[in-house]
Amino acid sequence: MSARAPYLLVGNSAASLAAVDWIRPRDPAGRIVLVNRERGTAYSRVALPYYVSGERTLESLMIRQRGDYERLGVELVEGEGVARIDPEGEVELAGGRRLAFDTCLVAIGSECMRPPIAGLDAVPHHFLWTLEDAIGLRKACEAGARTGVIIGGGFIGMLAAEALRKRKIRLTIVEAAPQLMAQLLDAEGGRRFATAVAASGQEVRLGTAVESVARRGSGADVVLRGGDRIAADVVVVATGVRPNLSAVAGGPIRTGKGVIVDAHLRTSHPRVHAAGDVAEVSDFLSRQPTIHAIWPTAVDQGRVAGANMAAANLGRPAMSYPGSLGMNVVELFGVTLAEIGRFREEPGDDVRLLGGTGQGGYRKVVVDRDGTIVGTLYLGDEHGVAEMGVLHHAIKRRERWRDFAPGSPPRFSYAHLVHAAQQRAL
Amino acid sequence: MRQIVVHQERCTACRECEVACSFEHEGAFVPALSRIRVNDFYEEQFYLPLTCVHCADAPCATVCPTVAIVRQESGQVQVLAERCIGCKMCLLACPFGVMGFNPGRNVAQNCDLCGDDDPQCVAFCVPQALEYGEVETQALAQQKFAAAIARKAIGAP
Repeated sequence: MSARAPYLLVGNSAASLAAVDWIRPRDPAGRIVLVNRERGTAYSRVALPYYVSGERTLESLMIRQRGDYERLGVELVEGEGVARIDPEGEVELAGGRRLAFDTCLVAIGSECMRPPIAGLDAVPHHFLWTLEDAIGLRKACEAGARTGVIIGGGFIGMLAAEALRKRKIRLTIVEAAPQLMAQLLDAEGGRRFATAVAASGQEVRLGTAVESVARRGSGADVVLRGGDRIAADVVVVATGVRPNLSAVAGGPIRTGKGVIVDAHLRTSHPRVHAAGDVAEVSDFLSRQPTIHAIWPTAVDQGRVAGANMAAANLGRPAMSYPGSLGMNVVELFGVTLAEIGRFREEPGDDVRLLGGTGQGGYRKVVVDRDGTIVGTLYLGDEHGVAEMGVLHHAIKRRERWRDFAPGSPPRFSYAHLVHAAQQRAL
Repeated sequence: MRQIVVHQERCTACRECEVACSFEHEGAFVPALSRIRVNDFYEEQFYLPLTCVHCADAPCATVCPTVAIVRQESGQVQVLAERCIGCKMCLLACPFGVMGFNPGRNVAQNCDLCGDDDPQCVAFCVPQALEYGEVETQALAQQKFAAAIARKAIGAP
């Protein structure tokens, strides 16, 4: 373990695993060392809520087995975080051990924010971010929790809410913003979604901050600004995540909100690449620095970073990353929500509201002033999601709405593209 | 690999394929759960059955956060129902809109070629618009389209 590793990967999730998958075919023999601050093989963070709800077993969360690492020749360093990264070629582990590298990938993801709520440290509460979090939350549910408070009605908060609702825990969801899931939904979508959440029997408190929490038996009293007290057997804190910069903070590697990378996903130091939730990349649409912190872009970035690390070691040309396109989809409280790109309109945009499918159906396409499709938002049942995939690729191809969905009412599908191509050929 | 090859000009939009597919997989005639879908443009008399073409670098498999979509040795892209959490990211990733979703089982589903044994959509296609054969024509066009998108998505030349 003392020799210098051609590839040192820090992190054991989407970006890092994708990097391995693209390094290995390019460099069949190069040693790959992967440092994981948690123990065990990789699990799917996306699946954690389904473990909390009881729909999935612990085993089914695992997305790699020991044999997968062995087969790809990856040496796994487990249960030890990285204290510091020296971009000239050395990583210092939390225990003091040093590992030398030729190229390094920073893919340490993000971490939960701890809100400044008075009394929080003295009260049992849960996050939903790591496997350990999920195991703890599931145990709390199974210990007979009947009531819960979700602090934060964003994406993770609502995933936690959905998981606890499936366990028949009655919930109050407290969100400081005026709408639920502002990252995923516009105001109208938020309103429709909140209606569905309320219809399921949960209470939604928008525009409300949590002032303090206090212990009450094995649970807690959650005190809202304004004085309302809500008793909860289980408290979930989901007030957002941020890039985990602990190993690079104060060091020479340039950071902004995340680790700043160029079009080749290189950091300010050429031997070090970054990918996934920790990386501040260029937005596919706006070209502004962004962090979408989603699985699909973490995989894309991991692939490009892995390929470029191999290219650096083998003296080959690097490939470019075209930018991160935000997208998400989830089914919560009986509603399927999907968003791609910039779904909030700006002045000069042409907004197309199309009918969704199913109850509360809502589909919106945002076309910019040049006529290019830049975003879409969908609420409804599962039947409308496949069309979103077709729209997704139209956005990636920077298609114009007029060409993509001609006619009135506009119709679009892959079949329409084939039909149009056939018409042009005739 | 062999897969469902579409001869678009022969399709009459009779939708027997949808009925046969759903009966084979669901034991009931529920075209909404069919893994092949006939797109119809009645005014133009243009009908196009679309189903999974088992893309070489399948975007559905790439984005699946639970490794529930895998490639079998035969080349077939398969959804492992027991690993699928129903998140639908694969539906959002498919350029063709051919990844399906079964709300009853809460899993994604694509064409499984009826286990590489006598696909029922082909068996019941009266005008012989569907064929179980080597990749060509429509399937190849779909493949090329997907490959171009995949290259663009990650900036490869």
